[in-house]
Amino acid sequence: MKVDLLKMVEYGGCSAKISPKQLEEILKYLPLPKDPNILVDIDTQDDAGVYRINDELALVLTTDFFPPVCSDPYEFGQIAAANSISDVYAMGGDPVLALNIMMFPADRLPMEAYAEILKGGFDKATEAGVRIIGGHTIDDFPPKYGLAVVGYVHPKRIIANTGAKPGDYLILTKPLGTGIIMAGQRLGISTDGDVAEAKSLMKQLNNTGAGVMKKYSIRGATDITGFGLAGHALKMAKASRVSLNIEMKKIPLIGSTYKLVDEGCIPGASFRNLEYAEKDFSFSPDLDYNLKMVAFDAQTSGGLLICAPDDKTEQILTDLKDVGLTESSLIGQVTEQKEKLIYMYN
Amino acid sequence: MRIVDTRGQLCPAPLIAAKKALRETEAGESFMLLTDNQTSFDNLSRFLKDNNTHFQFSKAEGVWELTITRLTGDVSETRAEDYCTPEITHFEKGNYIVVVTSDKMGEGDEELGHLLMSNFIKAIKDLDRLPQKMVFYNKGVMIVTKNSPVIDHLRDLEKMGVELLLCATCVSHYSLSDSIGAGILSNMFTIVEVMTSTGNIIKP
Repeated sequence: MKVDLLKMVEYGGCSAKISPKQLEEILKYLPLPKDPNILVDIDTQDDAGVYRINDELALVLTTDFFPPVCSDPYEFGQIAAANSISDVYAMGGDPVLALNIMMFPADRLPMEAYAEILKGGFDKATEAGVRIIGGHTIDDFPPKYGLAVVGYVHPKRIIANTGAKPGDYLILTKPLGTGIIMAGQRLGISTDGDVAEAKSLMKQLNNTGAGVMKKYSIRGATDITGFGLAGHALKMAKASRVSLNIEMKKIPLIGSTYKLVDEGCIPGASFRNLEYAEKDFSFSPDLDYNLKMVAFDAQTSGGLLICAPDDKTEQILTDLKDVGLTESSLIGQVTEQKEKLIYMYN
Repeated sequence: MRIVDTRGQLCPAPLIAAKKALRETEAGESFMLLTDNQTSFDNLSRFLKDNNTHFQFSKAEGVWELTITRLTGDVSETRAEDYCTPEITHFEKGNYIVVVTSDKMGEGDEELGHLLMSNFIKAIKDLDRLPQKMVFYNKGVMIVTKNSPVIDHLRDLEKMGVELLLCATCVSHYSLSDSIGAGILSNMFTIVEVMTSTGNIIKP
């Protein structure tokens, strides 16, 4: 029996995240634990928490899970695992161990699909050098899958949202458009080629990009997921107390992403992200509306947004392309903090 | 009126249907769109507002009926070269609007009146604080035609973020529908709303 996971969900992948606005409201009431060994927590809007064990070692902890973003169970497992592990890479860490988190409707889907999802996750984790040593499954509909991941990082080599410095250039390592292309697929208006490209990008680990960041001792970066390029850039600007200029036309897009947006294929998550973030944005008056909405498109397992020092930017770009991230692009710059946090241009 | 029924469809399908219908609708014409999904309705409203598209809605028994009117002649879409300007700084705006009711400035010699109007429009561009909006009615719409000596300046103002609202009745009265070179066609309700909500109206 051929299983189509996409038929089960309205919002797949990172599009299914709760609205950032609601999340912020709720987290206000949750006290943050105080402990000098907590090096990074939600306070800086980061991708993962970091806990110091000793002067040489800190643990990176993160978890991520979501409903299907594609039809095939094995591919869904690969994408979910790549996405979960990505947060460790974005913090400059090496992922080591993981636990499966699974929700699966045992009475509505064949158990083969369950096994396929786990197999996809296992294979992707193995590629990343991560050992999955357990997990937990709940009977629930629609299915959801992801990992809780533990990684190692040297306490002095953490890469975080707080590390953007005025003068740095912004480099993005993957093209945008996974949310739009996959929404279009559900409506039958995305081409097979575009869907294949989107899936292959979502499965791609951010390990190679992370390797380049380590080589150049990068201190500021994040990975682009559910809040879109715009949302994650904003988190970085806030945490680093800087402003960012972003030039949308310099950003590579997957296949016919622009055409789909122009036809109105704008996923609901883009509007949620826009609503949360826009008060901190200045949009250039002539900004192309379609490109603006692309900036807010929720990415699943998106690329790294790297703050590169001026004098190393060219070398970093060359290195990123050499390790296979051929669409890495310089998309903007960090400035001193201004009235707004993000200035977006065509 | 044409009815686009998107009941039962989830985001972004209703938005795609709305955009397609908008493209197939003549300027000034309306169509009705039905949706039964709150998220789709919210996103549609946001999209239409962002794109200066006029709409009204009512809700009954869980179904929203949106009457969507295409006011603009999609002036912005026809000028792709405007999207190629790489560096545009963000301009500050003052607490005033400019209302242009004639193609001349002041009373007296006609030629002088035209010249003064041209200089007025050029001078606005250099102000520290730009107008919130510029409204053109009666013979004022004549300086927004493609052949107008100040059309480039008006387009620049538009690119700098100043919305140009043109009285649609006036444009059609003077048979200028095909020769308008900038701005958005608007109606008297919007024009009155803009004029009453701004404290200061500057009239050349």
